[in-house]
Amino acid sequence: MPADRSTTPVAAVGRSVVAGLLMGVGVAAFLDETVFHQLLHWHHFYDKSTADVGLVSDGFFHAGGWLAMVVGVFLFADLRRRRRAAPKRVWAGALIGWGGFQLYDGLVQHKLLGLHQIRYDVDLTAYDLTWNISAAVGLAAGLSLLLGPARASDPAG
Amino acid sequence: MTDHPGEMADGPGSGFWILHVLLVAAGCYVLGVQRLRARHHRWPITRSIAAGAALSCLALAALPVPPGTGFAGHAAQHLLLAMLAPLLLAFSAPVTLALRTAAVKPRRLLLVLLHSRFVGLLTTAPAVVVLSVGGVFTYYLTPLYDLAHRNDWAQGLAHLHMFLAGCLLSWYLIGRDPLPRRPTLPAALVVLLITAAGHDLLAKVLYAQSNTALDADPARVQLGAQIMYYGGNAVEVLLAVVVMGDWYRRTGRRLERDRRHQLRVAARSDPAVPGTPRPDSPSSSTRA
Repeated sequence: MPADRSTTPVAAVGRSVVAGLLMGVGVAAFLDETVFHQLLHWHHFYDKSTADVGLVSDGFFHAGGWLAMVVGVFLFADLRRRRRAAPKRVWAGALIGWGGFQLYDGLVQHKLLGLHQIRYDVDLTAYDLTWNISAAVGLAAGLSLLLGPARASDPAG
Repeated sequence: MTDHPGEMADGPGSGFWILHVLLVAAGCYVLGVQRLRARHHRWPITRSIAAGAALSCLALAALPVPPGTGFAGHAAQHLLLAMLAPLLLAFSAPVTLALRTAAVKPRRLLLVLLHSRFVGLLTTAPAVVVLSVGGVFTYYLTPLYDLAHRNDWAQGLAHLHMFLAGCLLSWYLIGRDPLPRRPTLPAALVVLLITAAGHDLLAKVLYAQSNTALDADPARVQLGAQIMYYGGNAVEVLLAVVVMGDWYRRTGRRLERDRRHQLRVAARSDPAVPGTPRPDSPSSSTRA
């Protein structure tokens, strides 16, 4: 697309964070689905121990996960096209989205609603700690990136 | 309608006549495209391919359930009938083709229908959600499923409803045909989210119940539920990609228009203004 390069548009900070957030949630949902459900078979498709409210919540989270990925990628492409992406804010959003989703999954879906566990027939403590701490670290890194200084998008980007 | 009255009438439309309807539909589509070609009007080949694929899906769904597959086979046919075929059909723009090539009378009828209050009401977000999610929940979680498998008419009506509801969803989200009004992007995404979450939930409930009213073998019910789950997901991701792709192209066109407009204004006010790369004449930047 021929673009006017002599003027650099102002970075769209809010939209960059949103695009990152959506992609982060999408990646977390994708990893959960492919790595743990499909490849390792640690999680079960559905372990039949779930209350109805948990199933509804899971349905929205699963559908929301891939929808977030698709919408996030297109939003990001749109920002790039306008040369208004703020890379640091996109990363901040992505880390917050990934960490937040995984933490929600680990604390609310696994523990509170008892939807399914990370793995079966093993002592869960180590798994739960790894799962939730890595999520919290991602969330914290994202927040610090969000609050730190943001350079406007590089026009060559 | 079945040749073997003792056998359970299974699969979308055990009637052979559905294949004839599909052949007529295919003939009409080909005829329409031929007419356009005779007038040297363009019709994207992708649309014709989508139409062919949609009708093939419907033909597969109309065949009897492959023996020995039970509910799993039914689930696969349901996916073809109510999700994949409507998506492809919406992409093939049959109403546009009809409006451009049909005779005056049917064309006028079609326009009246398109502008009717009924269609206006159908293409609102709540109607789309209720019809596309409510129908399948009722069908699979109530004795309706059992009834449909004992009565050919109930069966046919249920499948017709699911096909039409699938078409409504696809036309609403990604249809290439004229509609009374188009959903905004947020409305389209919310409708897609609720529908997808509803399908997700239904597949898991079917899996959990493993109801023997659906199939004597619970393993086949579970396999069918998973086919619905993953297959439905795949089609819904496709819908989301097309919805967002349309938005991307739409905003891209607007962006290009604004940019050209700005260039023109800047060039007019001062040809040497530093904001413009070159003091081109506006006509040189109008190429797409």
